[in-house]
Order: sequence, then structure tokens, then C-alpha cells
Amino acid sequence: MIRAWLPRHSLTSRITAIYATLFVIAFAAVIGIASIGIDTYVQRQLVKEMGASASVFDRIWRERYDQMASAGRVLAADFGFRSAVAVDDAATIESALDSLKTRLDIPVAFVVTTDGRVIGVDDAAIQARADTIWNDLDGGAESGIMALGGAMFGAVAAPIEAPDRIGWLVFAQPLNTADMADFAKLSPIPVAASVVRADALPAMLREGTGVADNEVKAREGGETALYRATPLASFGGKGEPHLLLRYSLTDALAEYRPMLWILAGTAIAGLLLTLIGSWLVARGVVRPVRALEAAARRVSLGDNASVAVGSEDELGRLASTFNFMVEAIVERETRITHIALHDTLTNLPNRKLFREQLDQALRRIGGRGKLAVVYLDLDQFKSINDTLGHPTGDALLRAVAKRLAEDLDRAIIARLGGDEFAVMVEDVRGDADFNILARRITGIFDEVFDIEGHKLRTATSIGIAVAPADGMDVDQLIKNADLALYRAKQQGRGTYRFFEPLMDAQARARRDMEADLRTAIAEQQFEVHFQPLFNLARKEISAFEALVRWQHPVRGLIPPIEFIPLAEETGLIIPIGEWVLREACRQAITWPEDIRVAVNVSPVQFRNTGLNAIVLQALTHAGLAPDRLELEITESLFIENVEATLASLHALRAIGVRVALDDFGTGYSSLSYLRAFPFDKIKIDRSFIVDLLKEDGSTAIIRSITALADALGMETTAEGVEEVEQVDILREQGCSSIQGYLLSKPVRDDEVAGFIRQLQSRADAFRAAA
Amino acid sequence: MWGSKQGMIAALLLVAAGFGCASWAAADATFAITIRDANGVPVHDAVVTIVPAGGVGDRPVRFAWANRMVQKDIAFNPGTLIVPVGAEVGFPNADKVRHHVYSFSKAAKFNLKLFGRDETRSHRFSVAGNVALGCNIHDRMKGYIKVVDTPFAARTDEYGQLRIAGLPGGRATVKVWHPLQRAKDGESSYQIDIPAGGVANKDLSLAMRPR
Repeated sequence: MIRAWLPRHSLTSRITAIYATLFVIAFAAVIGIASIGIDTYVQRQLVKEMGASASVFDRIWRERYDQMASAGRVLAADFGFRSAVAVDDAATIESALDSLKTRLDIPVAFVVTTDGRVIGVDDAAIQARADTIWNDLDGGAESGIMALGGAMFGAVAAPIEAPDRIGWLVFAQPLNTADMADFAKLSPIPVAASVVRADALPAMLREGTGVADNEVKAREGGETALYRATPLASFGGKGEPHLLLRYSLTDALAEYRPMLWILAGTAIAGLLLTLIGSWLVARGVVRPVRALEAAARRVSLGDNASVAVGSEDELGRLASTFNFMVEAIVERETRITHIALHDTLTNLPNRKLFREQLDQALRRIGGRGKLAVVYLDLDQFKSINDTLGHPTGDALLRAVAKRLAEDLDRAIIARLGGDEFAVMVEDVRGDADFNILARRITGIFDEVFDIEGHKLRTATSIGIAVAPADGMDVDQLIKNADLALYRAKQQGRGTYRFFEPLMDAQARARRDMEADLRTAIAEQQFEVHFQPLFNLARKEISAFEALVRWQHPVRGLIPPIEFIPLAEETGLIIPIGEWVLREACRQAITWPEDIRVAVNVSPVQFRNTGLNAIVLQALTHAGLAPDRLELEITESLFIENVEATLASLHALRAIGVRVALDDFGTGYSSLSYLRAFPFDKIKIDRSFIVDLLKEDGSTAIIRSITALADALGMETTAEGVEEVEQVDILREQGCSSIQGYLLSKPVRDDEVAGFIRQLQSRADAFRAAA
Repeated sequence: MWGSKQGMIAALLLVAAGFGCASWAAADATFAITIRDANGVPVHDAVVTIVPAGGVGDRPVRFAWANRMVQKDIAFNPGTLIVPVGAEVGFPNADKVRHHVYSFSKAAKFNLKLFGRDETRSHRFSVAGNVALGCNIHDRMKGYIKVVDTPFAARTDEYGQLRIAGLPGGRATVKVWHPLQRAKDGESSYQIDIPAGGVANKDLSLAMRPR
């Protein structure tokens, strides 16, 4: 409720207003309570003092009565007076009373006899009340107030005894104003006192008549008065006399008025002090808060703002906490920015930052200087990761990053992800410089990396694009460097290539072919052709090798060598390979049972874990016996992850499928593979067969291969046999079977049956000839 | 010696009177009264007089006690004395101090001044009524003499009781007097019927002034 009218936007004003309000309320309460308290106290005090005044009046009159009574008793005891009363000697009585009145200065004195007569006074009023007076006297009254005419008298009676009571001597003295003034002087407080008849009492007191000693507060004009009426003993009846005391409450309270003024003055002074004090306190609180608010606003706008710490209290602590907070925010922001723009593993700039820096550098040189963008990646990093684990791979990456940074101090080096790094070098003058740069980079990898006890030797392939010749914008330069890298990798490991415009065209052609491949898969543009394998010992066809053909709608027949590498690169070899496998099995089931079908399997297919299931599915779908399927693999399969490859081969063997090692003699031709897995067949590469008729050494190689195969219990197939002479040598050297154009080029599936018949008859003739 | 001789004579006279009455009329009824004040406290020294409807006769009235009011120890003794009309009452002073006995009562006004020890003055009470005695020297001395014209009078004892025998049967006026009784001249009056030869009992509650 109070909030409604408090100033909204200034804390200082609000605090000041609240304190001032509270102070005013508190002091108003104090003054109110003090005022009521004084009022109550004064009234109670007055009531008490008026009671005391009444007793003083009582005491004064009792003394007066006693004086009069003792004087009266002296006369009443006088024998002459008594005898005068006893014998009713009125004249003597009156003379005695006269002398008494004179002597004691008493205006009224008379005798009342026991039989009720009043003697010694002519006053008609007294004579008229003789009975009442007698009645009071006979009832034992000795003193009291007697109303005579308009005046009030104090009256006393002394009994006259002779010796029995024969009457009373009565004295009365008026209560005049002087007496009352004397009395007021004796009173503890200045009261106005009077003795009045009951019917002359103020109206509100009259209502309370009968209740003794009651006080009544009366408002008279602008004044409040306190009245107290005390009933007095009456003598001679009539009027019920009361002592009426009046005291002005207003006057009494007026004495306390200065106290209230002092209180009010104190309150105003206190209010001023409170206003000043609370304003100062509030400003002391609010000023640092405002400073904090301003600083917080600057921080929200991104400024690095701090607040002066002015004190050691809560606000000071808040300020220093705020400063800490801002520092922490700035620090965290820097870190987040760093993380966003850096590679967490090597702490090198990431791709995003590299692009930014490249962009800035390009703007800076603006076509006047040369700038090289170098892309590099580690050869066979994946196999290191797979064989030694990711922590080792990560450590190698860090070590490479470190060496790059140390050796290329003027270059900007970034890690783009995986094993890919990028280097940007400015101010290179000519091609010679670029070659030096490239060789420095490759040189970095000459030294062995010592990672966690492993002596790792690795090499890098490098692609280089140079601005402005190879592009003036970031995207183009990066793309071109990447293309150069791709080409370098294609050419073999540990080399570098500069970007050439032709690369761009090749890359475009490659992209087109990839798109065509996807269409080919969708539109079934592939065909499977079969090339027979002839068993030299049994002189009959032992198998057909399934060979995929792509019938391109525009370019015509595309040989496998042109699209298989791309299919392997893009992973499209997996659906193609699966299709070939199924198609081969489907055809093989139509052939005589002793003829197998051989299918090539790419290492990419091996990496895909579903190979076993695909093979089994193709077999069961076609209803082909597993031992009629022969999978041909190449040595390159063993380059990556030997263990997993062996596991896969053993699993296939377990199904019952045969496995042949294709293109034996090229590549590494490591004999350890032959020991590692018991292949069913070795296929001798066509290059050895071609050489058979040219070099003598070739025959020896063939012989040693067949001898080795024989010893290991493996068959051998010679590929690319085109001359009859070659057949003779191969047979002599113990080769199991042959394959090649001498026999037949690959034929379409619908030609297979005819070919078998034809060849069988030729073979028969062949056999007969042999 | 003097006292016992007087007592014997009085007893003889009483016996003679008793015989005389018995033979003269059937005067054998008795009146008994108990007097208490408003608070039930017995009132002593109240004087009861009975006047039968048939009169008291013309025989001189005599009582069994002496017509004497002694001043002894600054007090009248007895405090209340009943005497027949015409009785000569002696006021012997048995104190060492002097007394001044006076009376302003209508029935007898007199002053017996300043008589000394063992001095006796006397006064004849010729009118029936109440006489209050005082001493002008000693204000607190008070004594009363009830002068009666009937032989049937007595004062109550400390129990507020008295008996009067030898009364004739029939209606009678009973008067009770006490100086502090709230009544004119301190006396109240009652009519009673006394059964002949029987006992008339009366319980009386008297309105009294404070002493």
C-alpha cells in the first residue's frame, strides 16, 4: 500500500521517505501516548488532591465545631442557666444567650427543649423548623450544616442536663466566603470551594447524588473543570448540603503544555536529523550500486569494465566480487573464443580461424605479393591409429604439430581435422622458394617420432596452391590446395604437388563420374561378364571369374579400371560389389556342378562389417554350395588392420567359401601373408606370364611360385595367358590352371553355356591332341 | 443495730398488712413482668406501678424499703427509689466530700446544699411524679425518686424482672417508667386483665434512648 506513493526510480528517496514516515509515526505515537498519559496522570492526581481537600475542609470545620461546642458546653453546664432552662425562664435564657453571642461572636444561638420547644430566637424560619431540629437533636446529632434562608450555617449542639437532658443549646455560624477562601488556601491545590444545597449542584453532579465523593468532568465553554461534591452532615434538615469543589483541568493541563511543545520540537528536530541521516546512508548505499549498474551495462555491451572498490563493507565486497566476475567472464570469453577457433588437441588454429586468417592475408597482399597455402596429411595415419590406439595417434598429431610450429616459424599452421594440416606462408618470391618450403615440410617427417616408446616413421603428402595465380579467394585456394594434395596422394606417399589447372578439370570429371555411378547403381547399368579358368591337369573348365562391366548410356562400355577406384573411394563399391556377388551366384547355379565362380572383393567391402552376411545371403538366395564360390582378394587388404582382416577371412572360410590371393607378385608380395592365411589359390599376376617368352628368369619365378604353392597345398592360376607356348611352360612348371584371351575373353552370361559346350569339345580335341 | 430493728418492724407491719388484706378482700393475684430493650438486653431499675380498676384503697401506702437516698462513692444509692406520696426521704451523705443535691423536676424542686459527711437532710415528697436528682458539684451523679400513690410498685432487678403479689383480680392499669425510655416523661402505660388468684405474666420490649 505504501509502495504506491513511494518514488519509484530513486532508491535514495525511497529509503529516506520510508525512514521519515516511520519516524513520524513513532514520534506521533510517543506524543499521543505522552499526552494521554499526562491527561490521565493529572486527572488522577487532581482527584486524589480534591479528596484531600475535602478532608481538609472536614477537619477545619470539625475544629470550628469543637470550639463552638466547648463554648456551648460551658454555658450548658452553668447551674444558673440550667435552672433557667429547667424552670422555663425564657427571659433569663435569652439574656444568657445574648451575652454568649456577643462574647463568642456567634450570630445564632438558641435552646431547644426536650419537649421540642425553641427558646431564645425570634427567627421564624427556625421556629418553623423546630420539630425537624428537635428530631435531629433527639437522634443524637451534635453538629452539621444548617440552611437558613439563603445562607449556609455551621451549627453545633450542646446538651443541657439537669441532671437528665432537658434540652440543647444550639449555635450556628454562617459559612461566609472569607471562610471558604481561607479553606481554599489550606487546600493542597487551588480549588474553588463552596457549600451548596443538593438542588444547587451542577446538573451532572445532581444525577450522581447519593454516590459519595464522586468526581465529574465538565466542559464549560473552552474550559474543562473537575467537580467533586461531598455530602456534609445536615442539621435541621432541608437542602442536603454538599461541599462542592471545582478545579480547572484546563489550567492544570496548561502546566504540562510546555512539555508537549518540547516533545514536538524534539520530534521536528529528530525528523530533520532522520531525513538527513537516512538520505546520507541511502546515498552511501546507492552510489556504489549505481556505479555497479553502469559497469554492468558496459560489460553487457562487451566492454571490459571494472568498479573502484571504495570500502571493505558488503558493497565493497560486492564491487570486488563484480570485478572478479568481469575478469572471469572476459577470461572465459577469451577461452571460449580460443576453443572455437583452435583445435583442442594441438592448440593450433582450426579450419575456421585458418580461413579467417587466410582471408585477412589475401586482403592484405591484394595481388601484389605471393602467398602459399599448403595442405598436408599423414600417410597411413589410420593404420597407426588402428594398431596402436587413438591416444598414440593423438600424441603423434601433437608431435607433428609441434615440429611444424618449430620449423615453420613464420608460417601460420592449422589443423583442419583428422590428420590434415594446413600451412599458410606469405612473402614467398618464386617457385624455388615453394620447392624449398615443400622439402622443408617433407623433411620434418624424415626423423623418427618417438611416441610413448614407439618409434614411428611416417610421411606426408603435400598439396600446394599459390595466390594470386591459383586463386584470389579463400574457397578457391583451399579447394585447389586440396586437389593438389589429392593428386600427390594418388602419386604415392611422401611427395608434394603444386596445383595445376588440369587438376581442376580432372576433379570435375571425377565428380561427374561419381554422379554417373550413383545413377548407374539406381538404373542397373552394370553387367557381369565371365572369363573361364582352365584346369591344365584335368583339361577342363574349372571356373569362371565374374567381371563387372559398366554400360554407360553415353560413353558406352567403361572398363573397371576407370571406375572401380572411384567406387572404392566413394564407398559405392559396396552396393556394386554386393550386386556382382548376387549376380555371380545366380548365374553359377545354372552351370555344371564342377564349375566354380570367382568374385573379386575390394578391401573397402572388407572394412564394411556386413560382408559375411552379404556372402551368406547371396549363396542361400541362389542355392549355391559355398565351395563353388571363390572370393579373390588382393594383398592391399593386409595393409590395414591385419588381425581384423584375418578374422574376416577365417569367418568366410568357416562358411565353406574358398579364398584366392589375386595379383600375386605385384606390390609387396610379402610371403608372410601366405603363412598367415591358408589361401586355396594363388593367382600369378599377368606381368610374369607376359615375360615368360621374353626373359629366362621368369620361368624360374613361376617355378618357385608353384613350388611354394604346392608346398603350402595351394592351387595356382596364371592370368593373362595369350600364347600356346606360355601354356606349355606353365604346365611344365606345375601351374594348376590358366586364364586369358588364349582361352576366351570375358563373355556375357547368356554366352556361358554355349562357351562351355564349345570349349568342352575343343578341349576334348585339345586333350586328344595332347 | 438500728438497721435490724427497723427491718423487724417493717416485717411485722407487712405481715399484719398481709393478714389484714387477706381477711379484707380476695387480693391474692400476682403480676410478673420481664422488660427488655429493643436489643433484648434486660432493663433494670425500671419502675412498674399498677393501679387496679377498683382503686388502691385509702390505706396509707408503705413499702418494704426505707425512704432514704444515700450519697456514697459519689453516687446516689439506690439509683432509683420508690416512695409513697407524702414520704419524707432522707439524703444522708456517706462520702467525705460534699454534695449539693438538687432537683428541677416538677414533682419536687429543691436544693440541699453543701452538707458534709454523715449529715442528713430530708425532703418531703408530697406530689406523685418523677424526680430527677443531680449534684451541682458532681455532674455525673444521677438519681431518681419515683413518688407513687399505689402500693403496687416495684423496680426490675438485674434480669429486668419483677413480681408484684397481693393484687386483686380484674382490670388494672400498668405503668412502666424509666428515665431513658423514649416516651413522654419516660413513662408508658398498659391495660391488663389480672386473673383472680392467678398470675398475670407480661413480656415488655421498651424503646430506650442511648445511655
